[in-house]
Amino acid sequence: MSSNYTMAANASNSNRLIAARSVSKSFGKRQVLRGVDLDIDAGLTVGLVGENGSGKSTLLRILVGLLQPTSGIIERCRRIGYCPQEALVIDGLTADENFRYFAAAYGLPASRWQPQVEFLLDRLHFSVDRQQLVSALSGGTRQKLNLAIALLHQPEMLVLDEPYAGFDWATYERFWQLAHELREQGTTILVVSHLIYDRSEFDRVIELRDGRLEEVPS
Amino acid sequence: MSSTVRRLMTAFVLTAMTLLRNRIALTLFVLLPVLFYALIAITTTDAPVLFALAAVSADTSIEVSRRQEAIVFMGLAAVGFISAFLGFYLISRQTEVSRRLLLCGYRSWELVVTRLAVLACAIIAVSLFSGALLLSFFTPSHIGLVMLGFALVGMVYGCYGLLAGSIFHRELEGVLSIVLLTNIDVAWLQNPIFYTESKNKFVIQWLPAHMPSQVSMIGAFTDHPVLMPVALSILYGAALLVLAVLIFWWRMRILGAKYY
Repeated sequence: MSSNYTMAANASNSNRLIAARSVSKSFGKRQVLRGVDLDIDAGLTVGLVGENGSGKSTLLRILVGLLQPTSGIIERCRRIGYCPQEALVIDGLTADENFRYFAAAYGLPASRWQPQVEFLLDRLHFSVDRQQLVSALSGGTRQKLNLAIALLHQPEMLVLDEPYAGFDWATYERFWQLAHELREQGTTILVVSHLIYDRSEFDRVIELRDGRLEEVPS
Repeated sequence: MSSTVRRLMTAFVLTAMTLLRNRIALTLFVLLPVLFYALIAITTTDAPVLFALAAVSADTSIEVSRRQEAIVFMGLAAVGFISAFLGFYLISRQTEVSRRLLLCGYRSWELVVTRLAVLACAIIAVSLFSGALLLSFFTPSHIGLVMLGFALVGMVYGCYGLLAGSIFHRELEGVLSIVLLTNIDVAWLQNPIFYTESKNKFVIQWLPAHMPSQVSMIGAFTDHPVLMPVALSILYGAALLVLAVLIFWWRMRILGAKYY
């Protein structure tokens, strides 16, 4: 663990939104995470980088509660928005119906989620017919829907697993404009990223290597 | 309206819509009973056939038209197969999306209850449809009991479909397990003509479609009571359901954490 990282771990947890302590995960004999410690404080945009197969998505799934760690402890805030790498949306429904379904899950009344949908779709330039079935949408449009669902309930922390896979350059730029707006509103963002262009967007970059996290100097 | 009721209603309506938009499910729903009945109408005669009614007593045999017996039997097979497929579809499709819904706030029981409600509606619809079609071939003694038997085979096989959907991760394995059991059980061994001459009858009696088949056969051709086979059918379906829900619960679980 680097000194920066130790410092982050020892910081006051009054504004901490997520913490992992000695988290390990094995799939059979393959150990993916080896005692990961992580603290993310409010207001930061944090980039999680690492090679393919290094365990970034596994770590994110553990942090949000979709996967059981082999050992270790997770602490997190309640209002997390999670955007998985693969667009997890319901193919047999339209985009609007997907919003309705997930809004019901979040417990949002129509008066709250409908303006938020308009705001998000405008920012992400979702130009296709929202009454079209999701199965008929392009990969990039499905990904916009995937991301918008994670933002529907205005979470205090966003956990995004390569949220712009399938985006064209213009949409990628719009994504970062939206991320800036959210950050200004106080949203904390953890993003898995492969792109070197993203580095300047982050307040902090951490790298997963050989199952351990290392702070990357900015 | 409370938040739970709103969540339940939304999940029910939208789950039903995904099912109604599934072309394979709709095609099976309409085509299978029509096809099965048509094949029987083309290939069987009205020659009399003698068979035993297992749920009444070992000695109770009845003589009926071969075609009429086969029509009831094929109605059961069609409803059993469609219900198993629908149960499988409702549980296995997009497991990861269901987990995302749970992560966003749905509770496991809410998703289970709404899917069961959609499945129950579909089973009632297919039972009524198959029963109504059956009336174009002959008028059974008690059409209500025939349809009740259809609904029970739908319930038992719908729950088997849920179980297959909870266990198998891939569609191919699940569909194969459904085709295999429905073919062996409801479309073969439960045929009363085969059953009458079979040995080791206890094997056939323990299969899922046995009691529901008896309800329909008794209702179609006799005035005997059906209380016991109805109760045993419900018990069988409930056992499969409990198993399916437990496995579904385990697979869907969202892990707790210490919250700030």
